[in-house]
Amino acid sequence: MTEAALAQSVGSGRLAGISVTVWRAAGIVFASFVTLYVLIPIGVTIAMSFNDGSFIRFPITSWSLRWYEGFFASTRWTQALANSLVIALGTTVISTVSGILAAWTFDRYNLPLKNVIYVLIMLPLFTPGVVLGLGIAIAFGGIEIGGWSFFGSRGSVVIAHSLWAMPLVFMLMEATFRTVDRRIIEASYDLGGRPVRTFFEIVLPMVSTGVISSALFAFVISLNEFVMALFLTSRGTQTLPVLMWLSLRSAGTPELAVTAVVLATAVFACMSLVMVWYVRQLRKLGR
Amino acid sequence: MSGAQQVTSAGHRDAMLARPAMKFERLVPWALVAPALVIALVFFGLPILNTLRMSFNLHVDQRVYVPGFTLDQYWMLVKNPIFSGSILTTVKLSLICAFSAVTIGYGFALLVWIGPPLWRVGFIGLALCPLLISEISIIFGWWMFFPKTGLLSHTLLSAGLIEDRFSLMYTEFAALVGLTYLTLPFSFFIILSILDGIDKRLLEASSDLGAGPLTTFREVMLPLTWPGMLVAFAHAFIWAMGTYATPSALGPDTLWTIGFLVQEQMLGRHNWPMASALAIVLVVGVASIMLLMRRLMARGGRFHD
Repeated sequence: MTEAALAQSVGSGRLAGISVTVWRAAGIVFASFVTLYVLIPIGVTIAMSFNDGSFIRFPITSWSLRWYEGFFASTRWTQALANSLVIALGTTVISTVSGILAAWTFDRYNLPLKNVIYVLIMLPLFTPGVVLGLGIAIAFGGIEIGGWSFFGSRGSVVIAHSLWAMPLVFMLMEATFRTVDRRIIEASYDLGGRPVRTFFEIVLPMVSTGVISSALFAFVISLNEFVMALFLTSRGTQTLPVLMWLSLRSAGTPELAVTAVVLATAVFACMSLVMVWYVRQLRKLGR
Repeated sequence: MSGAQQVTSAGHRDAMLARPAMKFERLVPWALVAPALVIALVFFGLPILNTLRMSFNLHVDQRVYVPGFTLDQYWMLVKNPIFSGSILTTVKLSLICAFSAVTIGYGFALLVWIGPPLWRVGFIGLALCPLLISEISIIFGWWMFFPKTGLLSHTLLSAGLIEDRFSLMYTEFAALVGLTYLTLPFSFFIILSILDGIDKRLLEASSDLGAGPLTTFREVMLPLTWPGMLVAFAHAFIWAMGTYATPSALGPDTLWTIGFLVQEQMLGRHNWPMASALAIVLVVGVASIMLLMRRLMARGGRFHD
């Protein structure tokens, strides 16, 4: 039975009792309530970012791009944006590589204590960011290598964010690898393909959608995260969300709205890139 | 390993090459899993153990910590109303948040599930939004909506519904609105994935047998989706327990959650042992919720007994 037919039967009075129109209306009201709930903070932020005034106050009387100009002219904000992007890229590389390798191992090999290792890898994902940030700050706060201190560095945030991103990549890729037809891998071995070559030339192209989506997740998580970053960054390495948080605590100006829009734009730009790639991939398959 | 077998069958010369490699082959899985394992052990296991140890250290003379062994911090958690109160507040807030997230998430998922297919893509995209936006941006969005000068007050005033501007900012309601916003997408997607596995003809069968929508929901849908609701509830609860920014930025000044106190003790008062003890409480809380959920899940199949 198709969904349209179902909707028809739902609508045709079989859900007796209260009349169907009432149920329909209730559904529409509820749907609009949720839609409004989700869109309110987004809409408010976008509107405020184009405010010409210096204060956050509704109604907005005049509109301009002055806060956008201010954002890109301020080295403090652009530096934070650069930090955010560098950290997110680092997190993506580290968590994708380690997560994919671990997932591939779980799919292909027998390891002793497999369950224990599985729990160990997944556990950080369920640990609150406050705990992870505090733990890393305490455990590695004092480490210095040749004048480079771990604490306050971008590297420390990359590692901290990988604790959330890596298990996620691992989880996604484990599910993806399960869909790979083992006979194709065996065929590659039969034709003399060594495991490494098989992995790169046969397996990876087959799971490329999974790889790209998990990399995207890792990137987005790192870009948006701020509790761990708050614990681990110093003035020079602050990420965009951290700087937003600190500014919000002192005084909120429309500049914060601009920052929120810039951050969200970065995320949605990555999403769209992946979508474009995905559609092209589908077309290739269709040919 | 299977690779080695294949190579052996491939030819004599290859077999000669493969034999010394056998020992190496056994190390391959370890080498592959090593990066993930190192991250988990060194940057997760070690810090957690370190935090546990730190929570027993002394905090005297305004120094960050003094090595030693005391249960003072844990005693304080019980004795000091600020800390014991924060634990209660956190649990209460997380419970309400998880409850509303599951309720709204369930309703919305149900709507997407039975609604026309055209809605589906749009609503899923909508539910993705809170996931893709930083917690801090969401806080800021509500921060502009609730106060006296905010959009809510302005809209109601210009609609003539209220006489004077009012503020909902810095109330527990605002904190809950923010927290639920963050946890809603998880509940929605978890429950939707359960619903998608259910045969819709069950609804039809139920109504053919004369059950009204509410009876169908109670007798058919609820037992089938119970495990999903549990997972969604536990997930929202754990997530809400861990966040500290949303309650402290949107809620009243006295709304102290465990997460907020961890941050305040660590960065504000430089009392590492106390911050660590609070963090350990948080970890124990999350772990016990997960264990509890597993037990409930194991019994979930017997919902109707």
